[in-house]
Amino acid sequence: MESKITIGIADMKMAQSSGMLITYALGSCIGICLYDQKIKLGALIHIMLPLNMEPGRKNTMKYADTGIRETLKMMEAKGASRSRITAKIAGGAKMFEIKGGSLSNIGQRNIESVHNTLKREGIKLLQEDVGGTVARTLLFDVGTGLGCVRCYGKPEHIF
Amino acid sequence: MAIKNYDQLSSLELDTLKEIGSIGTGNAATSLSALIGMPVRIQTPEVRIMGYNEAIEWIGGPEEITAGVLVGMDGQISGIMLSVQQLEFVNLVLETMLGKTVKDYMELQELESSALTEVGNIMISTFINALSGLAGIDIELTVPAFTVDMQGAIMAVPMAEYGGQSDYIMTIGGDFICNGKKIPCRLLLSPDIRSLNFLLRKLGVDSGE
Repeated sequence: MESKITIGIADMKMAQSSGMLITYALGSCIGICLYDQKIKLGALIHIMLPLNMEPGRKNTMKYADTGIRETLKMMEAKGASRSRITAKIAGGAKMFEIKGGSLSNIGQRNIESVHNTLKREGIKLLQEDVGGTVARTLLFDVGTGLGCVRCYGKPEHIF
Repeated sequence: MAIKNYDQLSSLELDTLKEIGSIGTGNAATSLSALIGMPVRIQTPEVRIMGYNEAIEWIGGPEEITAGVLVGMDGQISGIMLSVQQLEFVNLVLETMLGKTVKDYMELQELESSALTEVGNIMISTFINALSGLAGIDIELTVPAFTVDMQGAIMAVPMAEYGGQSDYIMTIGGDFICNGKKIPCRLLLSPDIRSLNFLLRKLGVDSGE
């Protein structure tokens, strides 16, 4: 049986050659799969917020910008080449349709921040399943580079 | 001293928050009881300070499907209040209000959803009214929003909203008991840190400045 590796919120894990990376119940959070096809090195990040503005910038994996950058560095340290790394993302939903009040659409801001950071780092975004109003569980097969999104009441979406 | 993170709360402050939870949940139970025409009791509410991953594991795992009603708080306090309604609670409400039950959340139509939203909204509003009376503060509530989805993603809403301030989330809430049976419906109050400090000061338990 294939080994399953669970990624929590504000967390990142890597695997090489084989293994299933999985992160559950992405609401406004985004799961980012980064993959170097040639050496079959994959990483899955579960970010919660768009930009890291914390003093000292700890908690890198909580934020889209520092999470992606830090992971790219770690992948390169394991022999990945930036020109080969590609990305697939899922999440960024709006769980509740709230009228008025000061609550913001964090999902949308997360999507924008992930797009911007990937662009700035020169990473090609191959596939995405983002926005909308549903929660997603994201699975990423490091052996094949295929992602799979699981939603409530819908068939699985392989991408 | 004002706290910077939820895990810095003193035991006196925690007890005060528990008391708020108790009064708020008690009032919500009374309004629920009036709605469904049955006596409803409460269990001792708890104040929990949880890390993100602990919070989403909390009620039956992250992928567990549940209904949720969310109301935002503005005014002198900002925060989020959630009513997490599991299927047993959903059926209790639907049976007494509409004379029907469902086997799956998928069967919820507009009428059922709107009944559940209203029940959640009434319970949340009674809780907040009690809180605002107790502390003498004005709290404005947004229109309630309803969803059925993975509870991990529902719990993540207050976490993401206040995630820039803290790695922990504080929730005040409790279960209800109806006909001697525990009904899994939780009311969760998640204020932001600034509002929590303000609330504690208003209640006179701010541990001295």
